[in-house]
Amino acid sequence: MSLRSEKLWNYVILTVMALIVVWPVGTFIAAALSPDRAGRPSADLQWGNFVTAWTNAEFSRSMTVSLTITVVVVLVGTVLALLGGYAFGVLGVVGDRVLFPVILVGMMISLEAIIVPLYYQFRTLGLTDTLLGVILIHIGMGVPFGVFWMRAAFRALPRGIFESAEMDGAGPMRMLWSIAVPNLMPAVYTFILLSFMWTWNDYFLSLVFLHGDNQTATVALGVFQGKFVTQINLMAAGGLIVAAPVLILYVIFQRKFISGMLAGAIKE
Amino acid sequence: MSITQAGAAVSLETDDGGSAATGAIITRYRKGRTSHARRRARMAGLLFAAPGLLIYGVVVLWPLVQSLQYSFYEWDGITAAVWVGFDNYLSFFTDPVLRSTLGNVLVLIVFFAVLPIALGLLSAALITAGKRPGMAIYRWIFFLPQVLTSVVIALLFKRMYAPEGPINEALRAVGLDALTKNWLGDFTWALPAVGLIGTWVTFGFCMVLFIAGASSIAPELYEAARMDGAGPVREFFAVTLPGLRGQIAVALTLTITAALRAFDLIWITTRGGPGTSTLTPAVALYKAAFVNPDVGQAAAIGVVMAILCLVIAVVITRVSEKE
Repeated sequence: MSLRSEKLWNYVILTVMALIVVWPVGTFIAAALSPDRAGRPSADLQWGNFVTAWTNAEFSRSMTVSLTITVVVVLVGTVLALLGGYAFGVLGVVGDRVLFPVILVGMMISLEAIIVPLYYQFRTLGLTDTLLGVILIHIGMGVPFGVFWMRAAFRALPRGIFESAEMDGAGPMRMLWSIAVPNLMPAVYTFILLSFMWTWNDYFLSLVFLHGDNQTATVALGVFQGKFVTQINLMAAGGLIVAAPVLILYVIFQRKFISGMLAGAIKE
Repeated sequence: MSITQAGAAVSLETDDGGSAATGAIITRYRKGRTSHARRRARMAGLLFAAPGLLIYGVVVLWPLVQSLQYSFYEWDGITAAVWVGFDNYLSFFTDPVLRSTLGNVLVLIVFFAVLPIALGLLSAALITAGKRPGMAIYRWIFFLPQVLTSVVIALLFKRMYAPEGPINEALRAVGLDALTKNWLGDFTWALPAVGLIGTWVTFGFCMVLFIAGASSIAPELYEAARMDGAGPVREFFAVTLPGLRGQIAVALTLTITAALRAFDLIWITTRGGPGTSTLTPAVALYKAAFVNPDVGQAAAIGVVMAILCLVIAVVITRVSEKE
């Protein structure tokens, strides 16, 4: 096979695969803009479908819930990751020979293994159907990856900067916030992106814990499509609304997303 | 960190330890001071790590222990729980409905793990072959499903598979009317149909993993293969595939556990039906925990899933390292 035909086949196969990936997304976007309830594509683009879907599904409420949960989880999660990563990566931790493996195990524990007692215990504590309950679980489950991720970032910093700061009399807090963190912003941004995506896209946890007014956007979308099975165009518009925040971030930060997801995978 | 510091301390001691007694005393003094400072740092470290560790312990570790405890009881979530020993575990393997979930998982593994890895290898090989323009766009497209919410993916494909959906319309357009069906409502086709959604979502992730791995394969190996007259196919099997063993192990671990844990896609598209043809352990767990409460059974399913995930990860890692 000549180099030229090799190159041609290369493009042909990749393009076919790309079309298969794009096909469902493309028909979905076309359906979201269609005037037809069955969602058949049309040249008559109905941008108003997004407004109708937004009001019919009361997305303003569920999007606010999702946004609240996600922002709190990302903020608190990032602070905990920085503190934990700094402790395990720079200061050392009393008992870290036991504690660090225990944290690593946490990356293998899936929600299914703990959801049952979580639900029934939180019910007796009155934490089901509250944002606080879901936020606590998201944060707790995010600690292992956060500590692991930030620890690696802290260890990649040259030790000299900590030693000279110590000579100058900087305490651990000061070293963390004024010396380490400014140097770690790339790792922090990637962590923020990943935890934003994982929290926003969650379905299982909020399906179990949140109902009615407290529904997240993903769960509300599931309910919405059940009610609007015959109005495919509105259902598709609603889907795009819920997917939009992460999609926009992906378009802007695709490199950070891809490398971050890889590093997240290799942890195991 | 601790190893290099200890090493520095030792070399310091041997350097001037023999020369003068005062030197030894100074060294000992320094060592004492640094180990004291280090202990203080480690105490501070514990303090810094404590908030995260505390929440993790309360929200993850403690419920994990409780899951084990729950799994030995029969409990409807309201009345008093009854100790049943290993009954919940036994029924996972003897109850025909629960046992069928394991068979379904095996089918899903083909679609969630085997196919995505094969397609991931193919696309990674094509994208890395030569430095051709436009490859970043393919990578961007193939990875896109990874960032979509599972609910949206489920809706995308509910529409694709609908009786009047794009797939059936495409079949009709080429005259294959006989093949059209309600894909997700068909006892034979529902499971492969749901499985293919997993393939669609996962293969781009595998691809990116393999592209990253391929970048660390020495270019000399490719040059040598080309010198020996290997074409792109032989080159792939002789150089790329062996070079990606580690990445394939990671991909297998993640995708097989994803097949075992499949919930969102299944719950939104089919609810485990028709019948139990697409029921997975996670869907069975959800039903047992929250739909018709048999809480102990649900906990046992969770524990079995956790153990299986752990075993899969350990076995795949061991095998990939041994060869």
